[in-house]
Amino acid sequence: MTTKTAKGLTTALLLLATLSPALAEELTLEGKTIGITAIGTDHDWDLKAYQAQIAEIERLGGTAIALDAGRNDQTQVSQIQTLIAQKPDAIIEQLGNLDVLNPWLQKINDAGIPLFTVDTATPHAINNTTSNNYSIGAELALQMVADLGGKGNVLVFNGFYSVPVCKIRYDQMKYVLEAFPDVKIIEPELRDVIPNTIQSAYSNVTDMLTKYPNEGDIGAIWACWDVPMIGATQALQAAGRTDIRTYGVDGSPEFVEMVADPESPAGAVAAQQPSEIGKLAVQNVARHLAGQEVKPFTFAPAVLITKENAAETAADFLPK
Amino acid sequence: MTMALSPSSPESPAGASRGKALAAAAIRLGALATFAAIMAYFALTARGFATPFNIVNVIEQSAILGILAFGMSVVIIGGGSEVQTGGIDLSLAANAGLCAAVFATATNAGLPAPMAIAATLGTGMLVGAVNGFAVVGLGILPLLATLASMNIVAGIELTLTENTVLSTSSPLLSVLSSGRFLGISALAWVLIAASVIVGLVIHRTPVGLRLYAVGGHPEAARAAGLNVGLHVWGTYVFAGLCAGLAAILIVSRLSASTPGTGELLLSILAAALLGTVFSRRFVPTVGGTVLSVIFIGFLANGFQLLHLSSYWVSGVQGALILLVVAVTSYARPQEH
Repeated sequence: MTTKTAKGLTTALLLLATLSPALAEELTLEGKTIGITAIGTDHDWDLKAYQAQIAEIERLGGTAIALDAGRNDQTQVSQIQTLIAQKPDAIIEQLGNLDVLNPWLQKINDAGIPLFTVDTATPHAINNTTSNNYSIGAELALQMVADLGGKGNVLVFNGFYSVPVCKIRYDQMKYVLEAFPDVKIIEPELRDVIPNTIQSAYSNVTDMLTKYPNEGDIGAIWACWDVPMIGATQALQAAGRTDIRTYGVDGSPEFVEMVADPESPAGAVAAQQPSEIGKLAVQNVARHLAGQEVKPFTFAPAVLITKENAAETAADFLPK
Repeated sequence: MTMALSPSSPESPAGASRGKALAAAAIRLGALATFAAIMAYFALTARGFATPFNIVNVIEQSAILGILAFGMSVVIIGGGSEVQTGGIDLSLAANAGLCAAVFATATNAGLPAPMAIAATLGTGMLVGAVNGFAVVGLGILPLLATLASMNIVAGIELTLTENTVLSTSSPLLSVLSSGRFLGISALAWVLIAASVIVGLVIHRTPVGLRLYAVGGHPEAARAAGLNVGLHVWGTYVFAGLCAGLAAILIVSRLSASTPGTGELLLSILAAALLGTVFSRRFVPTVGGTVLSVIFIGFLANGFQLLHLSSYWVSGVQGALILLVVAVTSYARPQEH
């Protein structure tokens, strides 16, 4: 924590802590059981947020029933049903497909169990702890437009529009592009997938480079997260097309490393703090159970790491 | 035909036959005792396990697996329960995934419910008919034929959905997902009704008797004038029908068709094979299948309640398949 941005980040966190009515140290979950349901923990972000929730529940003296659905919607629905049957003091839900989840989140409400979410905006939750995806989406898009010089074609991965955070980032990107009519999205959009995200993005981008072989046909590649961008960046390097830059969100260590590498075509990444998000979500649960007021959303700050500022910003997000 | 259904074949020596029968009874009782012991362990250690709410939940959660396991069981009955060469449909789960995608697409395209249902069941049965043709017409081993069709079907599903979630809603889906009658959810009723119907057809009609004959002793069945090929083909079409029915339940439960339905295959196989342990001759029965479907449901549920990783459930299911196949291969009456 020696850099300017990191200092700013610390200040923001301190500010957040002092502004809240009770300090984290005074919170307790003694004798409370908290259920956690996550769609999967196979990505760096998901795992960090998930583990931070369990750790914070245990630190505050509570018991965690943590269920990981292994990226299968049917499993998650069954797990939510089982969680409801156990009547925990609160449930935290992390990511997943909102269309699938909403009827079941409603059932959590019907059972009278307080529902909190991580990175999932739904009317059924008391609080959603997340990054400010509106600003993340807009900032990343503006950085992309700036790098393009206000002109060029963008290859977009849009396989997860049904995931709320992806919808917000995508919509914000489109909104920014409205002001720059010379920046165009190449149709049809590509689909990022889980699993085999990296391999699939690699072959998709390789195919598109074959379809658009001339320099300038494609100026940038965008996705609402950064795991597909790892594959996309590798494909650009393999094809020697370093004129194209890649943009993503999350701060997966491998992609941050690519952005920090001056030789790599990775352009920028909005790096989030999943561990902080998981921790804050649990503290919100503790506040609610202590009868304190909790706002509908809590933002953990994110950092936009670009080729230009990577020397100052990337350090905390690089592989450990 | 009655001879074909008798527990031991005439050429085995009486002593060995008695030994096998004894071993079979021991395995059957052992399986039931293990089942009961595991249930008792969960009831004592897992918070909320034995509550009526949880038990109804598990039955509801088992409906999709149950319908698919009936499909697999009938294929094994008709094709014979020899592990390497007998009947098996590895494409069943993938087929359900494709049918779910067809159902969501058809509903979203504005097709009236009966037509969407017909398209879904039709898709499932078509896949089943192709499987049956590959097995009966082309003589390909079911294990390989359906392994190939599993990949073809999964590919078609990906093409149709582009690997995305196709969310959908209709009045029928709402009734299936949240309807209740006598305090029991619609999905659980579907499982109960399907068990009764399939049970009656398999165990109380000539069709069922013929299927066991065809699967147990194809040569004898052929000599008795049965159209063996047609019966085997029919089991694959029935499995396809089950895939279509399960698909409608899946879409109702998830309000969408989602990728990942193919992952059910391991559970389906575990349920159908485990079900054979509960019969005297180690062939699938409807009762045995229901029992093992519920057992697998409780296993997953109990693991969750004990905060054990759900990944263990896959491991346990795999181990169960190995155990059942090993034990029944050893104890099955020598027929050839």
